[in-house]
Order: sequence, then C-alpha cells, then structure tokens
Amino acid sequence: MAGSSRPFGRRPALWPVTISFRQYIVYIALVLIVIAFSVILRDHGFLSWNNIAAIGRQAAPIAVMAVGMTFALAAAEIDLSVGSTVGISSLVAANVLVLYGFTAGVAAALAVGILIGLFNGIVTVKVRIPSFIVTLGTLGIVAGIARNMNNLQSVPIRHDLFSSAFGTGSVGPLTSLFIWTLIALGIGHFAMRHLRFGRHTLATGADREAARAVGINTDRIRIKVLVISATAAAFAGVLLASRLAVGRHNLGENDLLTVIAAVVIGGTNLFGGRASVPGAVAGAILMATLNNGLILMGLDAADQFIARGVIIIVAVALSMRERRDA
Amino acid sequence: MSHPNQRPRWPMLLALTAVIGLLVPFQGASAAEPFFSAPIDFDLEAAETDPYGNPAVPTSTLSLSEDEVAKVRAGGYKSAHLWAGAGEWYNAIDAGATARFEELGIEVIARTDAQFDPAIQANDVETTLAASPDVILSLIVDPVSGAQAFRAAVDRGVVLSLADNGAEGYKPGKEYVGIATGNHFGMGIAAAELTAQALGGNGEVGMIFHDADFFVTNNRDNSWRAAIEQNHPGITIVDAQGFTAEPATFDIASAMLQRHPEIDAIYVAWDVAAEGVVEAVRAAGRAADVKVISHDLGAANALDMAEGGIYYGTVADKPFEVGQALANLAAYGLLGKEAPPFVAVGLISVTRDNLAEAWPASLNIPLPEMVAEALK
Repeated sequence: MAGSSRPFGRRPALWPVTISFRQYIVYIALVLIVIAFSVILRDHGFLSWNNIAAIGRQAAPIAVMAVGMTFALAAAEIDLSVGSTVGISSLVAANVLVLYGFTAGVAAALAVGILIGLFNGIVTVKVRIPSFIVTLGTLGIVAGIARNMNNLQSVPIRHDLFSSAFGTGSVGPLTSLFIWTLIALGIGHFAMRHLRFGRHTLATGADREAARAVGINTDRIRIKVLVISATAAAFAGVLLASRLAVGRHNLGENDLLTVIAAVVIGGTNLFGGRASVPGAVAGAILMATLNNGLILMGLDAADQFIARGVIIIVAVALSMRERRDA
Repeated sequence: MSHPNQRPRWPMLLALTAVIGLLVPFQGASAAEPFFSAPIDFDLEAAETDPYGNPAVPTSTLSLSEDEVAKVRAGGYKSAHLWAGAGEWYNAIDAGATARFEELGIEVIARTDAQFDPAIQANDVETTLAASPDVILSLIVDPVSGAQAFRAAVDRGVVLSLADNGAEGYKPGKEYVGIATGNHFGMGIAAAELTAQALGGNGEVGMIFHDADFFVTNNRDNSWRAAIEQNHPGITIVDAQGFTAEPATFDIASAMLQRHPEIDAIYVAWDVAAEGVVEAVRAAGRAADVKVISHDLGAANALDMAEGGIYYGTVADKPFEVGQALANLAAYGLLGKEAPPFVAVGLISVTRDNLAEAWPASLNIPLPEMVAEALK
C-alpha cells in the first residue's frame, strides 16, 4: 500500500508553491469549470440563481456521502455499501415517518446507517477481511433487504416538516439541502483537523503498524470510520427521500463512483494517510456543476459520460503528478 | 499488516457452511411441474387504460391543421427530452419526436438519460429548467417521486408530454397533456403466440422477467404469463426467475437450463436482456433445441434470428411513432387544444420471415447491413 512506505505526516515540501497547487487543484478546477460554463452557457441560464441553487441541491447528498467516505479512505478503508445504504435508509425513513412521526423516522434511518457501519467495521476488523470485500458483500445484502422491504414499491412521503427540513425548504437564500452540506462540512472538517480522532485516523491510514506501535487503537478507528461513512450515507438517504418525497429501494444506486471520484478529486489519498473534507465537498459540487453544465450544453448522454470521464482523469492526474514531485 | 499464524479458522468454516446451506435448497427442484402454484389473475380481454381509466386511442387520432402548425412554428418554442434510459428504443423515440419537432419549428435544447434512477431524473428536471424550455418530453422513471420532481416544471407552465408512465396525482389536460405508449398487454399476448408457434403448441418453457416495479415491463411479462396459462394449455412454465440488471440474464438462463434440461424455450423481458440468454443457450450446447422469445428489436439478436439461430421471435412496438405522438401532444398543449389523454401505437410480431420489413417499420432506420446479408 502507498501509505506503508511513508511514515507519519507528510514529507517536507521542496517547493511550497507546487504543494499548494496540489492542495487547491479541486478549487482551481471548480473555478475554471464555472468560468468555462459561464462563457459557453451565458444564454442558457447557467448563472441564474435558480440554477445555482439547483446545483447546490444536487450536490448535497453526494457531498454528505463524500464527507463520510473521506474518513474511510483517510484510514485506508473503503465503503462500497454506501449505494444501497442510501436506498434502505430512505425506505426506513418513509415507513417509520408514517407510523411514528418525524423524529422517529429520521432516527430510525440514521440507526440503520450506524448498524450497517458497525457490521462493516466489526467484520472487517475481527474477521480480518479487507473492507473492500466486506462492504461489497454488504452492498448486495442491504440492496436485497431493501428490495424486499416494500416489495420494490416506492413509499410516498407526505410530511411538511420532513420535506422542508431536509429537502425543499430554505432559510433566506440558502436551501436546506445546502445548509446540511455546510453542516456536514463543518463537523467533518473539525473532526479531521482539530480532534485527536482525526489525527489518529490519518495515522492509521498512513501506516497502521506504526500507528499501533505508538498506542493508537487502530481497530477502533477502523470501525469508527466505517460507521461514519455508513451513517453519512444514511443521512444522504434522508436528504434524497425528503427531496423526492419518496422512499425507494434503488435511490443512490448510481452514486458510489461519483462519491469516490468527488473525494479523490478533492485531494484525499485513495490509500489512506491524507484527507481533505473541504476538498471532498468541493469535489461533490464540481461533479454536480459538471453534470449540470454538460446537460445545458445540449450534449447527448453518451457525450456527457465521455466529457465527465475525461475531466475526472485530468483533475486527478494533475493532483497525483504533483504528489510524486513533492 | 496481518498475522497469518494468529488468523482464526472458524470464520472460514462458518462462511463455507453458510454458503453450502444457502445453496442446498436450490438443488431439489423437480422436473416438468409448473413453477407457479396457481395461474396469474389477469384479464386478457381488459383494455389497457391510463391511471384514470381512459382507454387508449390510436396515435392517428392526433392531427394538426396547417394553420395550427404555422402557429406553433411562429412560437419559436424550445423542448427538453428527459428519458429514463438509453438504447435503440430510446434513440427511436427521440428521433421520432425530433423529426416531428423539426416540422413544428421546435428546437431541442437538451437530452438526458436518467439511467433509471429517479434522483438523477430529478436533477435533470432542475438542470434543464435553467434553459427555460417550453416543452418537456419525458418517460418518468418513478411515478411516485416523479410527481415531486416535475412539480417545478408544471408550476412554471412547461407543457409536459409523457411516454408510458404518468405521475401520481397528475391529471391529463392539467399537469400534463397526454400519455403516448405501446400496447403492452397486446405485446405479451403476441409473445405468447410466438412461443406457442416456436414449440408447435406443446412443451416446457422458462420465464425470465423484469424484477422491478415498472409499468411497461410488468404489463408485458404478466400478460405473456397469463396468455401462456390461459390460451396455450399444452405449454407449461417450469421455471421463472427475475432479474434487475441485464448482465445477470446469462447466469440466470444457464442455471435454468441446468436445473430444467427439458426446457424448449425461454421468454425474457426485453431484447438486450435476451442477449445473455441466447449466449447461455449457446454455451450450454442447446442451440439446436432451445428457442428464445422476447420484446423489442436489437441488432445482435436480429443477426442471430437472421442466421436462423436461437432467437426465434420478438414483439416490437413502434417507438419512432411514440416519439412523433409525444411531439404532437406537445403541440396540442402549446396551442391549448384538447388532446386525447392516452394514445397507443401498434405492435409487430417479428420472426425471421418478416424481419426485413419489421425493423424499419418499428425503428424507422434501415436494417443493419450484416443482418440484411444474413437474411439472403
């Protein structure tokens, strides 16, 4: 693994300028893409407030999941089960909301996330199977349970408070979905940068043996990051359920790779040891902006896929290349 | 990293036991008994209706006078096409709509593919609204969440013209103009006819259905099953299995042929999904005696059919015509003219005999060269 050759922290930088370029590549890319679309799409409403708000709403579930995934990747774990966790949490929220009300619905959805994360973490650590495999298994198991839960039917949600709190509401000019993104960003960034837990997570991801040698309980860290990732995915399920006013087994099914792309573009190392929560959120916004602009450009679906793929590779290649130079 | 000598053995044993335990019950399936314990409760005589009970009228009912066309042309309208998926069928529907819109002077400003994900489609609605379309043509992925996703478009007065599905609580002439669709009951019944034709009226068949809550495929699969059970007493469905992702059909069909070597034909929900089934029949060395029947047209299976292979027959609707009808419905909406709420296109039963004529009639594109060669 990449991290094992590199002990704690970062190597001293030879050129601080390139280091900062690498760190900020996601923000630079985002700004460039926004400028490019603003010019190309000046007559297509790209910069209208409605469209900017739409991008914020679309990015929110991906951003929340990306914050969770950042912790998993930082500790050199990965959580592939997020795709089906979103669906099952949306269904649980919809079902419980009808019977027991707002608080119970949200709590139950989050509890499902915590349980899935605990399962992933404990099996990964105690049975010593890579999290890649464990969460791949959970992805299938959870998707199967979700499919059975309401016999593939969508469960409609009619609950004003639930809708405005997570989906359709807004405070001043900010949509509630964007506010939740900011909250996830704040909590995630604080935990990663300012809590001992964050430093231990990075140390575990950089070199697990060394981290254990200095007394870090790496098993507990690895379980915690998988719980964080699954809980974030469950919360993304609540956001999507609220926005679409429905619980449905396949919500989030297509989001896994978008989330991983957002996190990695944001400067988090796929193999642990380095992470950026703000970068991951910027990555999610970049993905949503790209999606939005490419559609407004009138590209057909196939060309949208290609353009998105090329831009992702270019963005990651730039940050990877700098990494080796540094 | 890990400590191999400390690794406990029990998890491996436990996992193995669990896997064997899961597999054992599937070994006991016995031959030639009907798979379903009771026939499906399905009225084959009933006409397909929209969610409000309006029966389908033919698409030829829609017509615009020269004046009306000129009026639409003068409007300089813009349209966005928000499809649920992608493929030959969606290409044809989009081409039909676009061709008619060209005549009507309507510019198509965006085309999206939601990959059957309602959340992606909700994003697509929001995104395209930024470009202020006057018309949206869509096949809504999920009627329940679609009601919320398209609400912003409805509120802005965008003319909504829908393929196949409606949206919950939406009414024709109010939130949307009308729905254009295929004759799905008729397609299932026709596919059952083709199945009987392939078997000479007697035999054992397997069924590979779309395991999702989806109006079109559910109606076609259920009416196929009902027509086999009610119209073709010599045919027994000995196995049935659902799929959600197209690539899974190879494995499903392989297992089905393994469990039920007596199978003479397999019905599968649609063309692309049938590609895996045809491959599975070939891989099992059963190309000479097992036929595959499905819905829709695609080049790979058409070639196999032309070569006199495993793919015996398929029932195609007319997506190009659905696209034209959607465009016409949109024009009705722009003009404020009252439209029929539910229009349906015809269907074609396709075998090797009429493949050359059926392909262009359904998709409005020429038969692929390789297929035409193979037919000679």
